[in-house]
Amino acid sequence: MRDGPNTHVGSMMDVAVSPVLALRKFGCEQSLLSRPDGSSSFVQGDTSVLAGVYGPAEVKISKEIYDRATLEVMIQPKVGLSGVRERAQEHCVRQTCEAALLSTLHPRSSLSLILQIIHDDGSLLSCCLNAACMALMDAGLPMSCLFCGVTCAIEQDGHIVTDPTSQQEKESRALMTFAIDSAERRVMMSSTRGSFSVNELQQCVALSQRASEEIFQFYRDSVRRRYSKTL
Amino acid sequence: MPVDTKRVRGPEESQSPLLFLPSIAKKSVAAERGRQDGRRRGQADVRPVFARCGLVSQAKGSAYIEAGNTKLICSVFGPREAERKDEAGASSGRLLCDLRFAPFSCPNRGAWIPSSEDKDTAQGLLEALRPGVRLHRYPRAQIEVNVLVLENDGSALAHAITCASMALADAGIEMYDVVLGCSLRLDGNSFLLDPTLQEETAGEPGAQGSVTVALLPSLNQVSGLQADGDMREDTLAEAVRACMEGCHKLYPVIQRALLRAVHKRASPSES
Amino acid sequence: YNFTYPFSSSISTANGSALVKIGNTTVICGIKGELTCPPSDAPNKGYIVPNVDLPPLCSSRFRPGPPSEQAQVASQFIADVIDSSNVIQKEDLCIEKGKLSWVLYCDIICLDYDGNLLDTCVVALLAALKNARLPEVTINKETDLAEVNTDKLHHLNVSKHPVSSSFSIFDNTIVIVDPTVEEETLSTAMMTVVTDEDDRLCMLHKPGGSALSGEKLQDCISRAVTRHREVSKLIEKVMDSFEPDK
Repeated sequence: MRDGPNTHVGSMMDVAVSPVLALRKFGCEQSLLSRPDGSSSFVQGDTSVLAGVYGPAEVKISKEIYDRATLEVMIQPKVGLSGVRERAQEHCVRQTCEAALLSTLHPRSSLSLILQIIHDDGSLLSCCLNAACMALMDAGLPMSCLFCGVTCAIEQDGHIVTDPTSQQEKESRALMTFAIDSAERRVMMSSTRGSFSVNELQQCVALSQRASEEIFQFYRDSVRRRYSKTL
Repeated sequence: MPVDTKRVRGPEESQSPLLFLPSIAKKSVAAERGRQDGRRRGQADVRPVFARCGLVSQAKGSAYIEAGNTKLICSVFGPREAERKDEAGASSGRLLCDLRFAPFSCPNRGAWIPSSEDKDTAQGLLEALRPGVRLHRYPRAQIEVNVLVLENDGSALAHAITCASMALADAGIEMYDVVLGCSLRLDGNSFLLDPTLQEETAGEPGAQGSVTVALLPSLNQVSGLQADGDMREDTLAEAVRACMEGCHKLYPVIQRALLRAVHKRASPSES
Repeated sequence: YNFTYPFSSSISTANGSALVKIGNTTVICGIKGELTCPPSDAPNKGYIVPNVDLPPLCSSRFRPGPPSEQAQVASQFIADVIDSSNVIQKEDLCIEKGKLSWVLYCDIICLDYDGNLLDTCVVALLAALKNARLPEVTINKETDLAEVNTDKLHHLNVSKHPVSSSFSIFDNTIVIVDPTVEEETLSTAMMTVVTDEDDRLCMLHKPGGSALSGEKLQDCISRAVTRHREVSKLIEKVMDSFEPDK
């Protein structure tokens, strides 16, 4: 499934020298749904998320914000009803999108983003973030910057794995997901599990920033591919 | 059974450890002449009350009351624009009451979802408070009263009434009088005023009942009366009188707590 | 800094309870233990079920009804903190492998909401866990039924002491520690760092918002570490002052 050998990163020194990041194969398709204003599907290895964006549209009076658009995010799990965990993920995705979107350009209107999980094989939250960003792009909504999600797992022996599978997530000691912005490569969102040292955190942030380059390049390529077809 | 998707879920079912207690012969309450906490039966003997106003910084008015082990907190919001605009609410304001028991307030853990008991108690609270509040002074507005029972050791409704009216007074809502609550348990032939949870649930079968009275003390009018159980007419009248006596004992404590809150507001530098 | 006042309160119907006040924000945490079958995938563990409730009582911004998104996010946050930091070894909650274990319901109710909810909840949870006492339970070999002895009460073994520190961030320039509700609504991003006594991070929770550079992040973490020392010292002091009279 991997397109390169796993890169094990032990210390800051290794981060600087290791040239290959082990990210799984990406796949992305935009405007695949006809009903939403923007849609995308994002695939990272076996993890796959489908996203749809509706809006800007009319907003319920109770949810109206007078100086910007109201953004709603819904995450639908593959089976069953969404629970507290999904609600926490929705909260993270929503706040990240809100920071990237120039929502003041659409006051008193509503934007809704629906993320349908097709299959979860690790790095789910980062895949959701990537799908969300592509769908927002596809909907043509004005954004101040793009963002992407990267998940890092620290294994029992201290090695850092980017874009882990669910098997690797289970075996890991700590798990971190970051959202990185495209303008200055800064951390927009972070969500972690397990305990880790400050040094390990800094390594993961540095690694994620490097991984984000690759993802943004992929964004560019896939958008270029799409528009070269239509033009 | 519907699954609560909006909370962190635990195991499907669990039992309270109290169920597994080796059953000891329960001490019969009726056998003793006195009561477990040393109060006397048939007397207007209420538990010592601790009352404070103005604890919740975000609320317009709030109050905390502690009677024995029963602990309640109440906050009042409003008056603000009514959410439901129907004809009935146009000339006078609406009073909304919400009463909840914290999950850890009873010996057996309660569910988060409000039970019918919560709703019944909230309704009882609303009906007891309404005559005391000058609602016609607040047309098209609503006043919200929220009560949370932190620990229930009997007479929750009675103390909720007292606590809520203190919070209303603290919020500066116009009232005819404060509303005080007192409850009583009829056990056999004697009264247990301001019963504890044990006294409420235990006792011999037969002549049993409970009465909760809400009183406007300075007008000496009863604004709410809830009685259940099997009672004769004269027993009921006697029970109400005993409750009223209990309310009057409570009155100076509440007055003092309210006065203290007013003093604090008037000169925040002191205190 | 606003100052922290943890009180261990005595809710006698709960196994453990604590009332904590940071600034104006007041939170009460009650712990009730119940008996249940251990989870089938981990027969030697118990459960800890945390729930945060923001009733309409604590602020006019909350409506009655099912928990709001914010309450759910807070519940999940507390659950993640418990998992990540190993406050209580879940193995300690097992009474008999595969048969009986404790489930600790940690119900956290906000009584006064003036910002910095997460920090207050973590302190309340920790204080309540520390004063929680569970009765001794044994399984009768003959009848295979549980027997509870309420005369013998045990403290829980609290192995880690996580403390959380929240920051309000204003566009990567100004960072405010322990924000009030007003500061929270005006800020462009929030961040919560949870540390334990070994200066390890248990949680770096930043749900979106404006981006933060690496240097600022490092700055926040080192502030969180200092704050951890202050807060845990305070908790210890209060817990000690309560212990003797029990």
